[in-house]
Amino acid sequence: MAESLTEKSTKKVIIAILSVMLFIAVIVPLITSPTNKLLGESVYSVRSAFHGLFALTFMITSVIGLYQALHLWRGMEVNVSEVEIGSVVNACACFLAIFFGNWLYIPYRAQGGPRSHFLETAPELHKIFFEFKEFAALFTLPLTVAAAYIICRYASRLIPNQNLRDLVALLLVLNFFYFIVAFGLGAAITKIKAV
Amino acid sequence: MNLANDNDKSDVIPEGAAQAAILSVIVGVLSLALVNIATEASDGFKETVHGIGKLWMPGAGGIGPYSGKETLSLVVWLMSWALLHIFFKKRELNHRLVLVIFLSGVALATTLIWPPVYTGLAHLIKGQ
Repeated sequence: MAESLTEKSTKKVIIAILSVMLFIAVIVPLITSPTNKLLGESVYSVRSAFHGLFALTFMITSVIGLYQALHLWRGMEVNVSEVEIGSVVNACACFLAIFFGNWLYIPYRAQGGPRSHFLETAPELHKIFFEFKEFAALFTLPLTVAAAYIICRYASRLIPNQNLRDLVALLLVLNFFYFIVAFGLGAAITKIKAV
Repeated sequence: MNLANDNDKSDVIPEGAAQAAILSVIVGVLSLALVNIATEASDGFKETVHGIGKLWMPGAGGIGPYSGKETLSLVVWLMSWALLHIFFKKRELNHRLVLVIFLSGVALATTLIWPPVYTGLAHLIKGQ
Protein backbone atom coordinates (compact mmCIF):
# COMPACT_ATOMS: atom_id res chain seq x y z
CA MET A 1 0.00 0.00 0.00
CA ALA A 2 2.74 2.43 1.07
CA GLU A 3 4.82 1.28 -1.92
CA SER A 4 1.94 2.02 -4.26
CA LEU A 5 1.46 5.51 -2.79
CA THR A 6 5.18 6.24 -3.24
CA GLU A 7 4.98 5.06 -6.86
CA LYS A 8 1.98 7.35 -7.53
CA SER A 9 3.67 10.34 -5.93
CA THR A 10 6.87 9.73 -7.97
CA LYS A 11 4.78 9.67 -11.18
CA LYS A 12 3.11 12.95 -10.16
CA VAL A 13 6.50 14.59 -9.60
CA ILE A 14 7.77 13.37 -13.00
CA ILE A 15 4.61 14.60 -14.77
CA ALA A 16 4.83 17.98 -12.97
CA ILE A 17 8.51 18.45 -13.94
CA LEU A 18 7.83 17.42 -17.56
CA SER A 19 4.86 19.82 -17.73
CA VAL A 20 7.01 22.73 -16.50
CA MET A 21 9.76 21.78 -18.99
CA LEU A 22 7.22 21.65 -21.84
CA PHE A 23 5.78 25.02 -20.78
CA ILE A 24 9.26 26.58 -20.79
CA ALA A 25 10.13 24.93 -24.11
CA VAL A 26 7.03 26.40 -25.75
CA ILE A 27 6.62 29.78 -24.06
CA VAL A 28 10.25 30.96 -23.90
CA PRO A 29 10.93 30.57 -27.67
CA LEU A 30 7.52 32.09 -28.49
CA ILE A 31 8.31 35.23 -26.46
CA THR A 32 12.01 35.58 -27.20
CA SER A 33 12.35 34.55 -30.86
CA PRO A 34 10.54 35.14 -34.17
CA THR A 35 9.01 31.64 -34.29
CA ASN A 36 6.41 32.82 -36.83
CA LYS A 37 9.26 33.01 -39.38
CA LEU A 38 9.44 29.20 -39.22
CA LEU A 39 6.06 29.04 -40.94
CA GLY A 40 7.39 30.84 -44.02
CA GLU A 41 6.44 33.98 -45.89
CA SER A 42 3.29 32.65 -47.57
CA VAL A 43 -0.09 34.05 -46.51
CA TYR A 44 -1.25 30.42 -46.48
CA SER A 45 1.49 29.37 -44.06
CA VAL A 46 -0.90 28.57 -41.18
CA ARG A 47 -3.11 26.20 -43.17
CA SER A 48 0.01 24.64 -44.73
CA ALA A 49 1.47 24.12 -41.27
CA PHE A 50 -1.70 22.45 -39.99
CA HIS A 51 -1.98 20.22 -43.07
CA GLY A 52 1.66 19.21 -42.60
CA LEU A 53 1.23 18.71 -38.85
CA PHE A 54 -1.75 16.37 -39.23
CA ALA A 55 -0.21 14.57 -42.19
CA LEU A 56 2.85 13.93 -40.03
CA THR A 57 0.65 12.73 -37.16
CA PHE A 58 -1.20 10.51 -39.61
CA MET A 59 2.11 9.11 -40.84
CA ILE A 60 3.07 8.13 -37.28
CA THR A 61 -0.32 6.54 -36.54
CA SER A 62 -0.35 4.77 -39.91
CA VAL A 63 3.07 3.24 -39.22
CA ILE A 64 1.86 2.11 -35.79
CA GLY A 65 -1.26 0.74 -37.51
CA LEU A 66 0.90 -1.19 -39.96
CA TYR A 67 2.84 -2.71 -37.07
CA GLN A 68 -0.38 -3.65 -35.29
CA ALA A 69 -1.74 -5.08 -38.56
CA LEU A 70 1.25 -7.40 -38.74
CA HIS A 71 0.54 -8.62 -35.21
CA LEU A 72 -3.15 -9.14 -35.97
CA TRP A 73 -2.41 -10.91 -39.26
CA ARG A 74 0.09 -13.30 -37.70
CA GLY A 75 -2.17 -14.08 -34.73
CA MET A 76 0.30 -12.56 -32.29
CA GLU A 77 -0.66 -11.15 -28.92
CA VAL A 78 -2.02 -7.58 -29.00
CA ASN A 79 -3.18 -5.14 -26.36
CA VAL A 80 -6.79 -4.38 -27.34
CA SER A 81 -6.90 -0.99 -25.56
CA GLU A 82 -3.77 0.15 -27.41
CA VAL A 83 -5.17 -0.98 -30.75
CA GLU A 84 -8.50 0.75 -29.99
CA ILE A 85 -6.90 4.07 -29.05
CA GLY A 86 -4.44 3.87 -31.93
CA SER A 87 -7.16 3.21 -34.49
CA VAL A 88 -9.35 6.10 -33.27
CA VAL A 89 -6.39 8.53 -33.25
CA ASN A 90 -5.47 7.24 -36.72
CA ALA A 91 -8.97 7.99 -38.05
CA CYS A 92 -9.01 11.46 -36.41
CA ALA A 93 -5.56 12.35 -37.80
CA CYS A 94 -6.74 11.17 -41.23
CA PHE A 95 -9.85 13.36 -41.07
CA LEU A 96 -7.89 16.43 -39.94
CA ALA A 97 -5.19 15.96 -42.60
CA ILE A 98 -7.93 15.80 -45.27
CA PHE A 99 -9.82 18.73 -43.73
CA PHE A 100 -6.76 21.02 -43.80
CA GLY A 101 -5.77 19.59 -47.19
CA ASN A 102 -9.12 20.79 -48.54
CA TRP A 103 -8.51 24.24 -47.11
CA LEU A 104 -5.06 24.30 -48.70
CA TYR A 105 -6.46 23.14 -52.03
CA ILE A 106 -8.07 26.58 -52.51
CA PRO A 107 -4.74 28.48 -52.92
CA TYR A 108 -3.34 25.50 -54.87
CA ARG A 109 -6.10 25.96 -57.49
CA ALA A 110 -6.14 29.76 -57.37
CA GLN A 111 -4.87 31.87 -60.27
CA GLY A 112 -1.08 32.09 -59.97
CA GLY A 113 -0.98 29.10 -57.61
CA PRO A 114 0.96 25.84 -58.11
CA ARG A 115 -1.80 24.34 -60.30
CA SER A 116 -1.64 27.06 -62.95
CA HIS A 117 2.16 27.05 -62.72
CA PHE A 118 2.27 23.29 -63.37
CA LEU A 119 -0.29 23.51 -66.19
CA GLU A 120 1.94 26.06 -67.92
CA THR A 121 5.29 24.41 -67.29
CA ALA A 122 4.78 20.65 -66.70
CA PRO A 123 1.07 19.72 -67.00
CA GLU A 124 1.62 16.05 -66.10
CA LEU A 125 2.64 17.07 -62.58
CA HIS A 126 -0.91 18.26 -61.96
CA LYS A 127 -2.87 16.14 -64.43
CA ILE A 128 -1.37 12.81 -63.37
CA PHE A 129 0.46 12.97 -60.07
CA PHE A 130 -1.52 15.58 -58.14
CA GLU A 131 -4.89 14.34 -59.40
CA PHE A 132 -4.00 10.78 -58.35
CA LYS A 133 -2.76 12.00 -54.97
CA GLU A 134 -5.97 13.90 -54.22
CA PHE A 135 -8.15 10.84 -54.86
CA ALA A 136 -5.83 8.28 -53.22
CA ALA A 137 -5.78 10.47 -50.10
CA LEU A 138 -9.57 10.23 -49.85
CA PHE A 139 -9.41 6.41 -49.78
CA THR A 140 -7.75 6.58 -46.36
CA LEU A 141 -10.80 8.01 -44.56
CA PRO A 142 -13.22 5.08 -45.06
CA LEU A 143 -10.35 2.63 -44.51
CA THR A 144 -9.31 4.12 -41.16
CA VAL A 145 -12.87 4.70 -39.97
CA ALA A 146 -13.90 1.12 -40.86
CA ALA A 147 -10.81 -0.25 -39.08
CA ALA A 148 -11.52 1.83 -35.95
CA TYR A 149 -15.18 0.80 -36.01
CA ILE A 150 -14.44 -2.94 -36.24
CA ILE A 151 -11.75 -2.75 -33.54
CA CYS A 152 -13.95 -0.78 -31.12
CA ARG A 153 -17.12 -2.77 -31.82
CA TYR A 154 -15.60 -6.20 -31.37
CA ALA A 155 -12.89 -5.18 -28.82
CA SER A 156 -11.68 -8.26 -26.94
CA ARG A 157 -13.75 -10.53 -29.22
CA LEU A 158 -11.39 -9.53 -32.02
CA ILE A 159 -8.48 -11.39 -30.43
CA PRO A 160 -9.63 -15.00 -30.89
CA ASN A 161 -11.33 -14.35 -34.24
CA GLN A 162 -8.75 -14.67 -37.03
CA ASN A 163 -11.28 -13.63 -39.72
CA LEU A 164 -11.85 -10.28 -38.02
CA ARG A 165 -8.12 -9.88 -37.40
CA ASP A 166 -7.54 -10.41 -41.13
CA LEU A 167 -10.14 -7.78 -42.08
CA VAL A 168 -8.68 -5.18 -39.73
CA ALA A 169 -5.12 -5.98 -40.80
CA LEU A 170 -6.11 -5.58 -44.45
CA LEU A 171 -7.74 -2.20 -43.78
CA LEU A 172 -4.68 -0.93 -41.90
CA VAL A 173 -2.21 -2.16 -44.54
CA LEU A 174 -4.21 -0.58 -47.37
CA ASN A 175 -4.53 2.64 -45.38
CA PHE A 176 -0.74 2.72 -45.08
CA PHE A 177 -0.35 2.18 -48.83
CA TYR A 178 -2.74 5.00 -49.83
CA PHE A 179 -1.31 7.27 -47.17
CA ILE A 180 2.25 6.77 -48.49
CA VAL A 181 1.10 7.45 -52.07
CA ALA A 182 -0.66 10.68 -51.03
CA PHE A 183 2.06 11.81 -48.64
CA GLY A 184 4.93 11.05 -51.02
CA LEU A 185 3.33 12.76 -54.01
CA GLY A 186 2.21 15.70 -51.86
CA ALA A 187 5.72 16.18 -50.47
CA ALA A 188 7.29 15.91 -53.93
CA ILE A 189 4.86 18.43 -55.47
CA THR A 190 5.29 20.84 -52.55
CA LYS A 191 9.05 20.60 -53.04
CA ILE A 192 8.65 21.68 -56.67
CA LYS A 193 6.25 24.55 -55.92
CA ALA A 194 4.60 25.28 -52.58
CA VAL A 195 1.45 27.39 -52.10
CA MET B 1 -24.13 -26.10 -18.20
CA ASN B 2 -26.93 -24.71 -20.37
CA LEU B 3 -26.50 -21.31 -18.77
CA ALA B 4 -22.83 -21.32 -19.56
CA ASN B 5 -23.57 -22.24 -23.16
CA ASP B 6 -26.14 -19.44 -23.43
CA ASN B 7 -23.63 -16.95 -22.10
CA ASP B 8 -21.06 -18.15 -24.61
CA LYS B 9 -23.57 -17.69 -27.42
CA SER B 10 -24.55 -14.16 -26.32
CA ASP B 11 -20.88 -13.27 -26.24
CA VAL B 12 -20.47 -14.07 -29.92
CA ILE B 13 -21.23 -11.21 -32.31
CA PRO B 14 -21.72 -12.16 -35.96
CA GLU B 15 -19.02 -10.88 -38.29
CA GLY B 16 -21.71 -9.27 -40.45
CA ALA B 17 -21.24 -5.79 -38.94
CA ALA B 18 -17.54 -5.89 -39.77
CA GLN B 19 -18.28 -7.23 -43.25
CA ALA B 20 -20.81 -4.43 -43.81
CA ALA B 21 -18.20 -1.86 -42.76
CA ILE B 22 -15.56 -3.24 -45.11
CA LEU B 23 -17.96 -3.59 -48.06
CA SER B 24 -19.18 -0.01 -47.59
CA VAL B 25 -15.57 1.14 -48.06
CA ILE B 26 -15.70 -0.38 -51.55
CA VAL B 27 -18.99 1.36 -52.34
CA GLY B 28 -17.50 4.67 -51.17
CA VAL B 29 -14.25 4.51 -53.13
CA LEU B 30 -15.93 3.16 -56.27
CA SER B 31 -18.53 5.94 -56.13
CA LEU B 32 -15.69 8.48 -55.94
CA ALA B 33 -14.00 6.93 -58.98
CA LEU B 34 -17.24 6.73 -61.00
CA VAL B 35 -18.38 10.27 -60.17
CA ASN B 36 -14.95 11.52 -61.21
CA ILE B 37 -15.17 9.75 -64.58
CA ALA B 38 -18.67 11.14 -65.12
CA THR B 39 -17.51 14.70 -64.35
CA GLU B 40 -14.67 14.32 -66.85
CA ALA B 41 -17.12 13.06 -69.46
CA SER B 42 -19.77 15.73 -69.00
CA ASP B 43 -19.32 19.44 -68.29
CA GLY B 44 -22.95 19.71 -67.24
CA PHE B 45 -22.52 16.95 -64.66
CA LYS B 46 -19.30 18.59 -63.46
CA GLU B 47 -21.27 21.79 -62.78
CA THR B 48 -23.95 19.82 -60.95
CA VAL B 49 -21.32 18.07 -58.79
CA HIS B 50 -19.66 21.39 -58.02
CA GLY B 51 -23.07 22.75 -57.04
CA ILE B 52 -23.50 19.87 -54.58
CA GLY B 53 -20.18 20.76 -52.94
CA LYS B 54 -21.21 24.42 -52.74
CA LEU B 55 -24.37 23.44 -50.85
CA TRP B 56 -22.49 22.89 -47.60
CA MET B 57 -18.70 22.98 -47.89
CA PRO B 58 -17.02 26.26 -46.86
CA GLY B 59 -14.72 27.47 -49.65
CA ALA B 60 -16.22 25.05 -52.20
CA GLY B 61 -16.04 27.79 -54.85
CA GLY B 62 -12.26 27.69 -54.60
CA ILE B 63 -12.03 23.93 -54.15
CA GLY B 64 -13.97 23.34 -57.36
CA PRO B 65 -15.81 20.15 -58.42
CA TYR B 66 -13.57 18.16 -56.05
CA SER B 67 -15.79 19.43 -53.20
CA GLY B 68 -18.83 17.77 -54.79
CA LYS B 69 -16.95 14.54 -55.53
CA GLU B 70 -15.94 14.34 -51.87
CA THR B 71 -19.49 15.09 -50.77
CA LEU B 72 -21.10 12.48 -53.01
CA SER B 73 -18.63 9.74 -52.10
CA LEU B 74 -19.01 10.56 -48.40
CA VAL B 75 -22.81 10.40 -48.59
CA VAL B 76 -22.81 7.20 -50.67
CA TRP B 77 -20.26 5.57 -48.35
CA LEU B 78 -22.19 6.39 -45.15
CA MET B 79 -25.60 5.53 -46.59
CA SER B 80 -24.34 2.23 -47.98
CA TRP B 81 -22.76 1.45 -44.63
CA ALA B 82 -26.05 2.08 -42.83
CA LEU B 83 -27.98 -0.11 -45.28
CA LEU B 84 -25.39 -2.91 -45.32
CA HIS B 85 -25.22 -2.80 -41.52
CA ILE B 86 -28.98 -3.21 -41.20
CA PHE B 87 -28.91 -6.09 -43.65
CA PHE B 88 -25.82 -7.94 -42.41
CA LYS B 89 -25.57 -7.20 -38.67
CA LYS B 90 -27.17 -10.49 -37.64
CA ARG B 91 -25.77 -12.66 -40.41
CA GLU B 92 -22.46 -13.44 -42.02
CA LEU B 93 -21.19 -13.74 -45.57
CA ASN B 94 -18.49 -16.19 -46.51
CA HIS B 95 -15.21 -14.66 -45.26
CA ARG B 96 -13.27 -15.52 -48.41
CA LEU B 97 -15.99 -14.04 -50.62
CA VAL B 98 -15.85 -10.76 -48.67
CA LEU B 99 -12.07 -10.63 -49.06
CA VAL B 100 -12.30 -11.27 -52.81
CA ILE B 101 -15.00 -8.61 -53.29
CA PHE B 102 -13.08 -6.13 -51.13
CA LEU B 103 -9.69 -6.58 -52.79
CA SER B 104 -11.18 -6.63 -56.31
CA GLY B 105 -13.14 -3.46 -55.54
CA VAL B 106 -10.09 -1.67 -54.15
CA ALA B 107 -8.01 -2.70 -57.19
CA LEU B 108 -10.74 -1.54 -59.58
CA ALA B 109 -11.23 1.80 -57.79
CA THR B 110 -7.48 2.43 -57.72
CA THR B 111 -7.23 1.73 -61.45
CA LEU B 112 -10.17 4.04 -62.14
CA ILE B 113 -8.62 6.99 -60.27
CA TRP B 114 -5.34 6.73 -62.22
CA PRO B 115 -5.61 9.84 -64.45
CA PRO B 116 -4.58 8.27 -67.80
CA VAL B 117 -7.28 5.63 -67.26
CA TYR B 118 -10.14 7.91 -66.22
CA THR B 119 -9.41 10.54 -68.86
CA GLY B 120 -9.30 7.77 -71.48
CA LEU B 121 -12.62 6.36 -70.26
CA ALA B 122 -14.15 9.85 -70.20
CA HIS B 123 -13.09 10.39 -73.83
CA LEU B 124 -14.61 7.03 -74.76
CA ILE B 125 -17.89 8.01 -73.10
CA LYS B 126 -17.88 11.38 -74.86
CA GLY B 127 -17.20 9.54 -78.13
CA GLN B 128 -14.01 11.42 -78.92
